[in-house]
Amino acid sequence: MASQRDVKNKIASVKNIQKITRAMEMVAAARLRRAEQRIAALRPYADALRRMTRQAAQAAGAEASRLPLLSEHESQERAGLLLVTGDRGLAGGFNSQIVRAGIRIAGELGETGLQSSWYATGRRGVSSLTFRGLELSGSYTGFADRPAYADARTIADDLIEAYIDGRVDRVEMVYNSYISPLTQTVTHERLLPISQATISGEENDSDEPEERAVESDRSKIVQRALVNYEPDPEEILKRLVPDYVEISIYRALVESTAGFFGAQMTAMRSASENAGEIITDYTLQMNRARQAEITQEIMEVVAGAEGLS
Amino acid sequence: MTRTRFSAEVLTPEGEVFSEEVEMLSTRTAAGSIGILAGHEPMLAMLEPTELRLYRSEAEIVRFAQAEGYLQFAENRALVLVEEAIAPEKLDRGTFETKLSDARGVADRAQEGSEELARALRDIRRYEAFLSVGQ
Repeated sequence: MASQRDVKNKIASVKNIQKITRAMEMVAAARLRRAEQRIAALRPYADALRRMTRQAAQAAGAEASRLPLLSEHESQERAGLLLVTGDRGLAGGFNSQIVRAGIRIAGELGETGLQSSWYATGRRGVSSLTFRGLELSGSYTGFADRPAYADARTIADDLIEAYIDGRVDRVEMVYNSYISPLTQTVTHERLLPISQATISGEENDSDEPEERAVESDRSKIVQRALVNYEPDPEEILKRLVPDYVEISIYRALVESTAGFFGAQMTAMRSASENAGEIITDYTLQMNRARQAEITQEIMEVVAGAEGLS
Repeated sequence: MTRTRFSAEVLTPEGEVFSEEVEMLSTRTAAGSIGILAGHEPMLAMLEPTELRLYRSEAEIVRFAQAEGYLQFAENRALVLVEEAIAPEKLDRGTFETKLSDARGVADRAQEGSEELARALRDIRRYEAFLSVGQ
């Protein structure tokens, strides 16, 4: 049985760990709030960009479908897989669930005859893919805690380049989307080619219902005549579409960041709770050990006294 | 003379940088410099990197170094969407000078007609415009 001193040392070390996990929990909570603000700050821009894309696409009409990012490649050989993970661990299954989902998707794509090219953001994703012996076509690290728009642009540029040059025939993205501090769900999204439905706004849009009411069918027809486009809507759309890809990646990055801090906060909270339980157990053990020692001493004293008498 | 005002909003992916009533807004589209006054016809334009000026009044001008973006004007509301909008006093010249020379290096090495070259040229335009605002 462990001596009293051993157990005391163990308690002290668990207490230290608990201090660290508590501190990490609080830091994660503060960073989570900041990350949430950034999601909120992004929303007006993303919504406005989507509305403009829709407007330009409607004005451009059939021209739109000829844009390289909107048209599907005829032969389907390689898929680009972008995994969005964190730079650090200690966040429960946050990073591993993305890597696992990515590998599963690659397997599914493999069954349909598509090879995968790997792209990853975040040190965790990069290192686990490398560890599995997979070759990365692109790795982006060092900004997972605070992604900037420029980071999303770098990634988008690489992916768009690969798509246009024919090195990949489609691009899929896997990331943790932020639902609440307690929940992040693994989300799988097609990045390229962008579907016509996404651009022309056939997808559900919950925002700004009054704006949609104004956009009746009749107004769509006259829209092009009324609005002055500079340059042509086709030209504007050519730049809006890559921006759309950038904003999708940026959104995934900020959501993943918020998700990471949420996951870390939860993980650290349960670690602190576990540490508390361990401390209780050890304290009990220590008291038992002390009691045993005392009993032992008393017995010795009694035995000694008996021996003397 | 006071002009009629209209509301102007400047949004970037990292948040709103400006939302006020202004008398005039000036920026640059692909076709050239443009000034918007209240009552302008509805338009959707593509913006080039330049100095964005928002005239609260003749004398009071808010300036930003803007990256590429879009301008939408409808129903007396101007909406400027740009990737970056930096106030001149916050512009770090050193960083952009390094970035500019990096981009020039890439442009020299890149192949004719490649995406890489197009990207480098776009960056050069942007950083040059930023640096000219910072002066």
